[in-house]
Amino acid sequence: MSDKDIAASSGLSDLNPQSRIRRTIPKIAKLFDATKCNGCKACQVACSEWNDLRAEVGTFQGSYQNPMAVSADSWTIIKFNEFVDDNKKLRWQFTHSACMHCEDPACLTACSTKGAIVQKSNGTVELNHDKCVGCGYCVSACPFGTISLNPKDSKVYKCTMCADRVQAGQEPACVKTCTTGALKFGTREDMLFIAEKRVAQLKERGYANAGLYNPKGVSGTGMVMVLHDINKPESYGLPADPKTSLPTTLWQDVVKPLGTAGILGAVAVACVHRITVGRNIVEEDDPIAYAQQHHSHPEKTDKE
Amino acid sequence: MHKPELILRHKMFDRVCHWFVVATGIFTFLTGFSFFYPSFQWLGLIAGTPELARALHPIAGLLMCLPLMVMLARYYHHNKWEKGDLTWMLAIKDVMLENEDKIPPIGHYNPGQKVLFRTFVITSIVLTITGIMMWQPYFTPFFSTVSVQWAILLHAVCAVIMLIFVIVHFWMATWVEGSVAGMLYGYVSKAWCKKHHPNMLNDESHSEK
Ligand code: HEM
Ligand code: HEM
Ligand code: SF4
Repeated sequence: MSDKDIAASSGLSDLNPQSRIRRTIPKIAKLFDATKCNGCKACQVACSEWNDLRAEVGTFQGSYQNPMAVSADSWTIIKFNEFVDDNKKLRWQFTHSACMHCEDPACLTACSTKGAIVQKSNGTVELNHDKCVGCGYCVSACPFGTISLNPKDSKVYKCTMCADRVQAGQEPACVKTCTTGALKFGTREDMLFIAEKRVAQLKERGYANAGLYNPKGVSGTGMVMVLHDINKPESYGLPADPKTSLPTTLWQDVVKPLGTAGILGAVAVACVHRITVGRNIVEEDDPIAYAQQHHSHPEKTDKE
Repeated sequence: MHKPELILRHKMFDRVCHWFVVATGIFTFLTGFSFFYPSFQWLGLIAGTPELARALHPIAGLLMCLPLMVMLARYYHHNKWEKGDLTWMLAIKDVMLENEDKIPPIGHYNPGQKVLFRTFVITSIVLTITGIMMWQPYFTPFFSTVSVQWAILLHAVCAVIMLIFVIVHFWMATWVEGSVAGMLYGYVSKAWCKKHHPNMLNDESHSEK
């Protein structure tokens, strides 16, 4: 990966900016159509196959969902959300849960390690494990809960959008495998176009609230979703208004500059005081130093 | 030259405690601020690698904060507010400019040191609690992500406040000559007490030298 491909990096600031990308390529995206997904989990299996992930076998939790959450060893899972609709009918709402590849990623903002999280020119968010120190700030910051710390090596892991496949001009493994066409892959522009058509079609068929999940709070995502009811993203296990949280913003944008000013200010005041006021000596303890400080030049003073 | 009369100001346990806190504190501050400032990640290289800084900072933090709390508990009785404290505070300008005859007399610790004492009490407690909440991978999974986000913010705020107060503490300790020797070897001269903490000489507790 050349640095020309990096659009944004963790651990940088306006004073210390990321080099300008010289290669503008269309942003890419994955489209997940929840109204087409049948919960077969082929994508989940394909992900673990392609990325060679083998999560430990868990225990039954009363759901077909398995494992119950994404982890360092399962980068994408199908969530089996149980939903009671207006006619009191129970149905499953499936969510293809994985890194959303936000346009304005909270993890990248929270990460204080230079270059550990980068955003590439195609819009995907990528991790550099050799730089990551494992503090887990990104894990706490992510509004989707799709980045995980591996306790075995103290590094974070998440969906890469199959960067290795995409670089070779192929779609991600999950998309390649999807049995129903619920997952699609292409430029963001194309995906939004297809999604809009699909939403219109769903509305025609009676899903008046059908809509596209492409949250504004993170400036849009690199995985967009068509939902039956856009007003109830929580029923898909999705946050209603994901964004970089207030404490994270205050910490990076207010505490750091103000704190730096305070630290430098304290040092400066201390140094100036020491030079101007001079030593504070008890005569009995050190008469010679005391004399130098207080009486050496009775007629001339250094304090002009 | 006559031998100055010496008074015990810091007992051995407290002296050892203080310099242990300084040693672990240097490690804790350097590694901690290596996460605070991405461009100064090299501050953490005192631990070897950034990953080691990450892994060792919380342990060093505990090794610093727990003895500090012990020391603060042992110094509490010297740091209660007293009557003359307000007049001293109002004369802070004369204290800083060393206008000796205008400085109101005070006891074992001056009000400035008492403020510092309280700041160390608050920051060491908050740093320990928030530090444990942020401690991956052991403790963080037990807390909600929102509370961890606030913990990270508070930890950083308290670390900055503590650093600023340590800078002031270092400045004052080295300015008032004789204090560092007192903290190192325990004793200060009677003249030192008369100058900096005159009411301390009336204190019963100093008969134990
Ligand atoms: C019991 C005490 C402490 C514990 C358990 C603790 C724990 C932590 C943890 C877990 C982190 C995240 C990075 C990592 O995993 O290493 C951290 C960061 C940090 N700690 Fe501590 N710590 C403690 C005391 C202190 C003290 C005394 C200071 C200095 C005043 C300090 C300053 C910092 C700073 C500046 C950061 C970086 C915060 C940021 O990235 O904005 N910590 N601490
Ligand atoms: C690195 C340089 C430091 C130096 C030269 C230094 C020096 C001193 C001296 C000379 C005293 C005795 C003051 C007196 O007798 O009136 C003292 C007291 C004390 N120091 Fe330090 N110190 C340092 C760092 C620290 C740090 C990092 C901490 C903890 C955060 C700390 C905590 C304390 C406390 C709690 C007291 C007792 C003050 C009171 O009870 O009001 N010191 N220090
Ligand atoms: S765990 Fe790694 S990637 Fe995440 S914030 Fe910390 S250094 Fe950055």
